[in-house]
Amino acid sequence: MKRRIATLAAVGIAALALTGCGGASPTGTSTGKNASDKLVVWNWGDADAAAKAYTKDVTAVFKKAHPNVDVEIVNQPFDQYYTLLGSAVEAGTGPDVALFNGGTQLKSRANLLVPVTDELAALKDKLAGWPAFQTDGQTYSAPMFLQGFPIYYNKALFTKAGLDASNPPKTWDELKAACSAILAKTDASCFALGNKEGLGIEFFLSGFGSGVFTPQEYDDWISGKRDWKSPHAMQILQMWADSAKDGWYNKGANSTAMFNDSFDIFSGGKAAMVIGLMSGTAHWKQFDEFLGKNLGFMMPVTVNDGTTLGLPAEGGIGYGILNKDKKDLGVDWIKATVDHDALAAYSLAGGQITSDTTIKLDTKITSANEIVAELPGSKPLLHTALGADTLDLLHRLGQQLLSGSVTVKDAVAQLAASEG
Amino acid sequence: MSTDTTSTRSLVLEGQAPGRRRRATDIPLRRKPWTAERIAPYAMVLPVIVVLVVFRLYPLLLGINFSFTGDKELNGQFVGLGNYLTLLGDERFQASARNVLIVLLFVPIQVLVAGLLATFIFLKVPGHRFYRSVYFLPVVLSPIIIGAIFNIILAADGPLNQALGVVRIPGVDWLGLPGTALPTVLMVHIWATFGMALVIFLAGFATLDAELLDAARIDGANLRQQIVHVIIPGLSQTIQFVFVTTTIGMLTGLFGLLYTMTAGGPGAASYLPEFYIWKLIGEARPALASAASVFLLLIVLVIGLIQIRVLRRATKEI
Repeated sequence: MKRRIATLAAVGIAALALTGCGGASPTGTSTGKNASDKLVVWNWGDADAAAKAYTKDVTAVFKKAHPNVDVEIVNQPFDQYYTLLGSAVEAGTGPDVALFNGGTQLKSRANLLVPVTDELAALKDKLAGWPAFQTDGQTYSAPMFLQGFPIYYNKALFTKAGLDASNPPKTWDELKAACSAILAKTDASCFALGNKEGLGIEFFLSGFGSGVFTPQEYDDWISGKRDWKSPHAMQILQMWADSAKDGWYNKGANSTAMFNDSFDIFSGGKAAMVIGLMSGTAHWKQFDEFLGKNLGFMMPVTVNDGTTLGLPAEGGIGYGILNKDKKDLGVDWIKATVDHDALAAYSLAGGQITSDTTIKLDTKITSANEIVAELPGSKPLLHTALGADTLDLLHRLGQQLLSGSVTVKDAVAQLAASEG
Repeated sequence: MSTDTTSTRSLVLEGQAPGRRRRATDIPLRRKPWTAERIAPYAMVLPVIVVLVVFRLYPLLLGINFSFTGDKELNGQFVGLGNYLTLLGDERFQASARNVLIVLLFVPIQVLVAGLLATFIFLKVPGHRFYRSVYFLPVVLSPIIIGAIFNIILAADGPLNQALGVVRIPGVDWLGLPGTALPTVLMVHIWATFGMALVIFLAGFATLDAELLDAARIDGANLRQQIVHVIIPGLSQTIQFVFVTTTIGMLTGLFGLLYTMTAGGPGAASYLPEFYIWKLIGEARPALASAASVFLLLIVLVIGLIQIRVLRRATKEI
């Protein structure tokens, strides 16, 4: 009996070894579901009532153009959104249209998306933030909101620490001194950080980048000429590691979720500063609800001489079309998302800095107006210029640098290798 | 449920003269009639075998076949062992492989916990009926719920660290430190699944001959001697089974907890092959994921076989 099993196994293995060919995997959305009466849309859900109202407006605009099409919106959790999307596309069960973050996440998946350069050409001058949705000369989406990384601070905590609340730090040394004062005189942490998803390093790199890299280095980085082993690249990673060693962050940053636990820490007054967002969530509108007049906005600090500070901002999110047989429906969906009235309503209610340059943000929240004032000098985000693999590696190295289990030298070597 | 036919065979043939297998008057095997009685067992087993082959074996072969092809631009093309070589050089895969060894260290802990508690329940400790049902409760909870609960409990400023602070033990960021992330998840997994092993042990206890225990007790054996010389050999099959299923459960059933509690982090400190396979699929590299699945299959097979061999010897009557 045993011998029989052994021979069967041997034959089986031999058979397997000979069959290592064929078996291509299907990609894209399943070709069966092309009934033109349905549009499957993926996004990561509506953060609040204003977002829900915006989604309703967009759907209504779309329905006006296509009354017979059934729109099915599927919400996926954001922290694993791209893995879920990738798996679904591999299995052939992907959506027709999916929401993307501008930059790497969209550009690295451009081969899955339908280019819509000509179809969206008419919107070119109306909207700002296109570069995040363009690659290789093709446009894949239209930006809905501008997204960026302003640094917010808590004026009350600053005053408590003996700092001038109307005069936030302008250089790295001033920032270090401010943090020491905050840690000594209050029981808040200096910065709120949630690094469970690994995103902390993204916010840090893009948030402080313009104060570390010279304008030439910055532009080279965006256009693809990155040298991780250059002094400034190593410097910013060292700043990241040192900020953790100096105790700037809340305890357990590596196991705290960024969305929304870390921002709740800031809103709750348990941290003096946070690198937040400009639109949608974790932004001036959300923090204003809790901090009111105590909410302050500051530009990144100057770390090296010869740098020009710029608010990091670019086209934030936009929908890409995955199913080429539903291209027309997809284009109309994209146009619905940048409909002037829908954007204007959401801009007021939801605190969005929209991409529509004809909409004026009408709000009394000072930090919002200060942010808008800095938009003309804004620069693209550094981390969205990275490839998907490198970005994923950066996430993991960011966590390891925080916990001290990798040195900066080793980290930049790995990053350089992944891009090389 | 012994699969060892040689010992049964020798037991049966004991006493017969060696070399005597068939008599001249026996009907030669080749010409035994295919009566309904002979076919019946095969026919009854056939549906299950068909289901197993079609839904388990065939996809497995397809998957192994698929692992020899390429991804993205090389979609569908034969790349031989290219995927396997890529994996061996990949940092995340190496981390997963190291973590498998850590997982193996925790298997005896789960078996011990389940075994000890089952022993006490069997020995009718006060409240044993209550404990028997309570210990099984975590098994019915979804890993997502368990993960969400323990995320809150194990937070750096959460209840566990606060409780430790009360007794002056310094709290630690359990899920955020590379050294403690995986062990913490494994401990939660043990809490969540030991009930199953416990129930299997209780079933094993039910087959124990109580008279043997009484005899040992009369002969003056203390508790430790009873356990080592009567209970463990009597439960040897159960122990083997629990060890193997616990190992398989840990290597292939930790995904839900990893997803909710650490997402493989910090860095790659809590990556396991299962989680890595899922990440690869999300990165649009299904053939590489298939290769990683084959590695996982081999790991589980080899470890399982080694375990059975070692345990059979270890739990024999001394």
